Amino acid sequence: MKHIAMMTFTAAGALVAAAPAVHAEPLKIGIIESLSGSQTSTGRLYATAVEYGVDQINKAGGFNGEPVQVTEYDNAGGAPEAADKFRQAVADGVDIIFQGASSAIAGQLTEDVRKHNIRNTGKEVMFINLGGEAMELTGDKCQFYHFRFTTTAPMRVNALVSAMKESGDLGTKVYSINQNYSWGQDMQAAVKASAEKGGYEVIDEVLHDVNKIQDFAPFVARIKAAAPNTVFTGNWSNDLLLLMKATGDAGLDVTFATAFLDQPGNIANAGKTALGHYIANNYDNAAAKTDAFPEAYKQATGHYPIFVEGHSAFALAQLQQALGTLDFKGGEISVTQIALALENTTYETPVGPVSVRKEDHQTIRPVVVSKVAENAKYPADNTDMGFETVKIVPAEEAIYPVQESCQMERPEQ
Amino acid sequence: MRNISILVAILALAIAVPPFLGIAWQNALVNVLIASLFALAFNLLIGQAGLLSFGHAAYFGIGAFAALHLMIAIEDGLAFPTPLVPLAGAAAGLLVGIVAGYFATMRSGVYFALVTLAIAELFHSLAPHLQGLFGGESGVSSMRMPWQGIIFGSLIEVYYLTLGWVLTCGLALWAYTRTPFGRLTLALRDNEQRVQFLGYNAHAAKVIVFAVSAMASGVAGALLAISNETANYSLFATDVSAQVVLQTFVGGSTVFFGPVFGAAAFTLFAFLVSDLTRSWVFYQGLIFVLVMLYAPTGIGGVIAYHARHRRQLDWSRLAGPYALALVGGLLVAAGVVYLTETVAVLFGEGYAVRMRDAGGSLPRYDLFGVSWDPAGILTWLLPLILIGAGGAVLVRARRSIAGFWNRMGRTEALAAATPEPAGGTA
Repeated sequence: MKHIAMMTFTAAGALVAAAPAVHAEPLKIGIIESLSGSQTSTGRLYATAVEYGVDQINKAGGFNGEPVQVTEYDNAGGAPEAADKFRQAVADGVDIIFQGASSAIAGQLTEDVRKHNIRNTGKEVMFINLGGEAMELTGDKCQFYHFRFTTTAPMRVNALVSAMKESGDLGTKVYSINQNYSWGQDMQAAVKASAEKGGYEVIDEVLHDVNKIQDFAPFVARIKAAAPNTVFTGNWSNDLLLLMKATGDAGLDVTFATAFLDQPGNIANAGKTALGHYIANNYDNAAAKTDAFPEAYKQATGHYPIFVEGHSAFALAQLQQALGTLDFKGGEISVTQIALALENTTYETPVGPVSVRKEDHQTIRPVVVSKVAENAKYPADNTDMGFETVKIVPAEEAIYPVQESCQMERPEQ
Repeated sequence: MRNISILVAILALAIAVPPFLGIAWQNALVNVLIASLFALAFNLLIGQAGLLSFGHAAYFGIGAFAALHLMIAIEDGLAFPTPLVPLAGAAAGLLVGIVAGYFATMRSGVYFALVTLAIAELFHSLAPHLQGLFGGESGVSSMRMPWQGIIFGSLIEVYYLTLGWVLTCGLALWAYTRTPFGRLTLALRDNEQRVQFLGYNAHAAKVIVFAVSAMASGVAGALLAISNETANYSLFATDVSAQVVLQTFVGGSTVFFGPVFGAAAFTLFAFLVSDLTRSWVFYQGLIFVLVMLYAPTGIGGVIAYHARHRRQLDWSRLAGPYALALVGGLLVAAGVVYLTETVAVLFGEGYAVRMRDAGGSLPRYDLFGVSWDPAGILTWLLPLILIGAGGAVLVRARRSIAGFWNRMGRTEALAAATPEPAGGTA
């Protein structure tokens, strides 16, 4: 009886929502992404996932009586260009901005959003950060209208340590090699911070130039001399690939604990060297409770979700859930209300619940730890290798304390 | 007199029109102005002194960071008028320019270009490590503070501030080229040895012109910082240096104000096209190649050439072939755009999905509001016809235009093809 009452209620609600409002204001989403230049392949994946998510919202009836509109803006991989496109997006009336492919650009956009909102009360814009993992985005630069829907270095390292310790692959001697910029430094700090909990000793730490090194042999010689059990690295792109290959060539038997091993092309390029190495990320198809999401995504886009696509699509699904609690009756959309609703939403992803921490707008989310194995269920890069789930570290275990530097000003209500 | 009236008309437009434009256009115009000043500063080296710098991003970036640090100080209570913030960029650009210029100008030609490239790369790799100075990956950020009742919150205020600075600096650079010392830099370009034999210190002269160019680049960087209110180390990247080279050459480095045309063309092209098609960078490269092949003196060079011969030009006989060339060019462009976009669609992700849904056959696709059949003859014949017809028209038009100019005097045409003193024709 209760169910029937509920259904009638929902149906009535749906009818009201479907009734065309004459001057309904559509919700506008802008993707400011690296769609040309060296980061295009990653930028494209973020854009595809966001568009998939928007399609899902629109299939369910859109928002505010209108389909949600989505526009792509090409930031060409540069922060000044992103600032430019932000202004273009504001001119187009965009309410929510999505971006992921660079912390530098995320830093630019969050500042642009903050200043825009100070100067344009009542016409706020919100920024959903899908991939900028720099700690300061939820530290020094934290602000109410920025939400980070991805992990950070401590979350990935915590999860790796927890899972590898359980499976007995961690060992007691850990080597840390990272790229010398904010992300690599964050990783290095996180590896050090987890030492006591993980029961290991950091025997050496290296920071090297970003994507400039062609020959990692000297670094591998150093690693060999230190004889660690596990090498932690936040490296991505060529820096990860060449490091792994050099290690393989030197016949060194260590386990790599990585953050970006699932970047498209890595597994195919590394070949058998990649087997047995670990990765911690937001989502992996093999870790999903059911096949529903990967299959639905493939149906819509032609491929299984890879790399950053999964968690980006979930961010949109969470937004959809938050929008479901709001009703502007076809009138003016309040971004502040959407942000407040998003703060109170917990979305059940196929790997566990994701919620927003109100103090710094970091999402509290599960982290998937996987290992490269042969004959995987979801092969990577058309090889027979793929990721095998080792452990899904629950959200509350992976999260780290709010950074002291975050002083968030909340909107007056 | 005529030149002055044209300038006044442009200035009047630049002042009167922007308030009526949307903020997207205002923003685009701010970018055009900043790019123009940067290109003018860059051209002081290549156009005047014959020094090709591949690392001007260094001075542009330094100017931006200096301005941001001054803005932060103003935010913290320093009594400094916001409109004068670009002075910080000028000072920093000048200082770094003197030091970098001292080393770079010890050599000329390829060696000079390589040293400038290395200096910019030095900044690019050093900046992420100097957290305090350059703010690491997420950069330095500040806010424009109000001054004398001007809030600098809206873009139009930023536009007028930028316009004022760009005009002042542009005219100052032009005036500099007219001074005896500016003339000396021209001599340096043409024959450095002779300048030395005349008793001048060639190295010191080159350092000065380098520093002046770096100073104006610093002002341009500072204007960008004021407009964006943030900067990070990506300002030092090679593509910033490369962009100004492309803009200057497309605009025309032999004419003083030529680079402005290139800067305006590239900036507006990016503004108008970058969100329409993913292939915009390809088109941009194509335009550069075509200009270099068929109008090596750039847009400014072509305009200056016509302006110089305006008294002899018989437009009644020239207008026809020019219109014909325009039609031919548009036809070829339409064909190329059609082909590029078709390839982009057919090899895109969306089409792969639809191909799979259609069971491997080739489904129809929409482009330019028309539905096309990928296996249809018309789909592929149309671009070929467009390019073929356009090409034929172009060849014809080119022949009659060349004939016209030949009749005007072959010697003059030759003279225009070789570089001549910049500034003389602006």
